[in-house]
Amino acid sequence: MKWPLTIAGLVVALAAQTALSLVLPREGRLFDPFLLVVVYSGLVFGETHGMLAGTAAGWIQDLQFGGAVTGLQALTKILIGFAVGAAATRFLIAATTTRFLVLFAATLLDALVFERFALVFEVPASELSLAGLFGRAALNAVLGSALFQILDARLRRAVQP
Amino acid sequence: MAKALETRRSHLVLVALVVSHLVIISHQVDAGGGVSLLQKTASVVFSPLQRAVAGAIRLVAGGYRGYVALRGVRQENEVLKDRASGLEVELERQRRLAEEAVRLRELLDLQAVLPYSTVAAEVLSRDVTPWFRSVTIGKGSADGIGLNAAVVSPSGVVGRVIGVGPRAARVQLLLDREAGVGALLEKSRVNGVCAGQVGFADQGQSDLVMRYVPALAEVAPGERVLTSGLDGIYPKGLVIGRVRSAGPPSGLFREVIVTPTARFDQLEQVLVMREAVPRPELTESVR
Repeated sequence: MKWPLTIAGLVVALAAQTALSLVLPREGRLFDPFLLVVVYSGLVFGETHGMLAGTAAGWIQDLQFGGAVTGLQALTKILIGFAVGAAATRFLIAATTTRFLVLFAATLLDALVFERFALVFEVPASELSLAGLFGRAALNAVLGSALFQILDARLRRAVQP
Repeated sequence: MAKALETRRSHLVLVALVVSHLVIISHQVDAGGGVSLLQKTASVVFSPLQRAVAGAIRLVAGGYRGYVALRGVRQENEVLKDRASGLEVELERQRRLAEEAVRLRELLDLQAVLPYSTVAAEVLSRDVTPWFRSVTIGKGSADGIGLNAAVVSPSGVVGRVIGVGPRAARVQLLLDREAGVGALLEKSRVNGVCAGQVGFADQGQSDLVMRYVPALAEVAPGERVLTSGLDGIYPKGLVIGRVRSAGPPSGLFREVIVTPTARFDQLEQVLVMREAVPRPELTESVR
């Protein structure tokens, strides 16, 4: 169940980012559906699956939307998947507000870790301003929390006899 | 016990993934990038989906625009509602067709002027990450497009190809931090290098910066900036933009802010050069 769900999530994320890039090119940059897939995988299926989902999501982003060096976003998303999964196995992260905070922190971490890696590997990449950083985190957290709620409800309905 | 084993397993997976990615990234950094087999394969796998989504989006956007126009007519004139709405939709369709015809005519005009063989390509998607400035186009190596091919639009230089698949290619826009183009001021004939501005990704930096302009050179706002052809990628004489302002001299040089003429947010069709710009032959004495 978890792999079909993750793969479907990644396909939807790719379609969503492609669509957003055409409809709202500037604002679309602040929303990262691949990150939502990684965070949800980590939250629901644990750290190992979170990391593997992060690897897949990161590689798609690297290959389709990345810069000259491939693997940077994958490495970032692996760490995010691990961190979220590890937190989910140690704490109860089920309430919408808690998930909102996890998504907010994961988005911040994603940008900061990516920018650090870009610096380390000398990959020229623009930086997000403080407002952009928090705006992106808030947008992903709001949309992600809502999507997670919908997905949870659908999954519960699917497993109920 | 089982939990401890699971934790150990996940830690091992983490280490394995991180180390393998560090090796992959380090290898690329050492090798200087380029297009890998993996990138080509990914392009083949993902570009059909992106093409389908792009088509659907254009269809929905067209329908939505028609609907908005229709609603406006209804509010203004209820008596002629049906007729006016039909006409409005048709008008909108015709207008879009006319706009597309103008765009294509501009592309054809440009294609005729350019001294190199070019191919027209449709923009499939724009960059979606905050860190880079690129677009994906619907033509690739099967159409004769190669790495570093110059990409232009009727309004100005767009960028260069940085990744090629058989049916799609990724184009680095001039706005990207890593982009660079040999530039020439039209009147003063001063050479320099135009690059994307170092700035925050979310602040919509849309100006270029021209570096290595001699401090004593006369630079007038509004002056056109052209490609110099010295970079071996872009042919000489294409319009990059217009001078917005010139910074104060710093040592031997000064920086000039250039507003690009290409409308990067509205790119729909572009021309891609199929041939590389020939580098000048050096004579034996020059060597």
